[in-house]
Amino acid sequence: MSSDATQMGPDNERDVALAGEYVLGVLPMGERRTAERRIAEDEAFAVLVRNWQTDLAALDEHFEPQQVPPAVAARVERRLFGDEGARGAGLWGSLAFWRGLAFASVLIAAGLALVVSGAVPLPVGGEQPAMLVADLTGENAPIGLVAHFNRDAGTINVLPAALQDDGGHSLELWAVPGDGVPRSLGLVPHDGGVIAIDRKHVEELGEGVTLAVSLEPAGGSPTGAPTGPVLVAGALSGG
Amino acid sequence: MSTLASDDEIGHLISRVALGDRNAFSSLYRDTSPKLFGVCLRILRQQAQAEDALQDIYVKIWRRAASFAAGKSAPMAWLVTIARNHCIDMIRARRPDPVDIDDAPALADETPDPEAVAIGASEGRRIDHCLEELDADRAKAVVGAYVEGYSYQELAEEYGVPLNTMRTWLRRSLIKLKECLQP
Repeated sequence: MSSDATQMGPDNERDVALAGEYVLGVLPMGERRTAERRIAEDEAFAVLVRNWQTDLAALDEHFEPQQVPPAVAARVERRLFGDEGARGAGLWGSLAFWRGLAFASVLIAAGLALVVSGAVPLPVGGEQPAMLVADLTGENAPIGLVAHFNRDAGTINVLPAALQDDGGHSLELWAVPGDGVPRSLGLVPHDGGVIAIDRKHVEELGEGVTLAVSLEPAGGSPTGAPTGPVLVAGALSGG
Repeated sequence: MSTLASDDEIGHLISRVALGDRNAFSSLYRDTSPKLFGVCLRILRQQAQAEDALQDIYVKIWRRAASFAAGKSAPMAWLVTIARNHCIDMIRARRPDPVDIDDAPALADETPDPEAVAIGASEGRRIDHCLEELDADRAKAVVGAYVEGYSYQELAEEYGVPLNTMRTWLRRSLIKLKECLQP
């Protein structure tokens, strides 16, 4: 190898080796902590570490999956969510949650079918369907939510249900009608997806109105307008 | 048990966990805990410690999910990294290295073997090909450190060389490996 831009210089070589030692895990505790401080402070070094992690991840196949004692899952859940999380609400494969979810979906489907078949009269001023759906998505990620708006009941059902805040935040649902000013529709509940909408906002919801979920301080936006990042958004449509 | 989830599915679950979705978390646990438990058992070699470690690891995963950057690392590799780091921290705390290793001696005295470089890496994975370019026992030391969590002290005992020699070996091996791995 002659000298070219990709060749490692002595300093860089030392850092490449140190980053590799860190990722391998061979360093004694003190040096390990020192390396971690450098990862936090020195982006170039952090990149070297990430590159080694990517390179060596091919060795992960040496780790054979092993059966986990079932009790461990419950202990994890209790630590994260307390007793309430460990018992009820259908986590860890309990059928109750999935049955509930399936039941709700059936109701929604049946409601739509009834409207379409004309068995239930459309509401007064029935140019707007009684049920509207918005797929809420976000570029930076997170999860997609589906919001079902039931005009007659004055509710929005957000799926998947059972969203949890991290203790310090709430998720707040907003509507952005034609004038572009967001209206708070309420907090996305922790233990179920149904949000009762204030009547005056129900009137404003219709096809094309954007729904959005933002991350807010616990209890919701203190100002009445979104203060945190908008995680997901999407427009209501007749589906 | 369940079929193995794809990396895409795992990435999607992590993104949902980042938003505090407990159901996604339980799916993620179901799909990935056997692999991570394999990491714990391999490195810690004790059932009870491995179970404790697994708990801690999933608590960390719940709390760090928001920092997972899908573009930067593969989801399963990200999870294994959290598990390996946790287990290695545990054994380093359990078996503190009594010897303070001198800082690294000079590294740059081995030039890559041109013949070895000339061998194409068209078959098999790049990492395997590059490990083959190392002396067999040095490649074994690299893999042993990664998979078993060996410390320098343990490697030195295993290979019957002084600690500093072991470190020089391994660092040179890492440099060679990186030269081979670079695109």
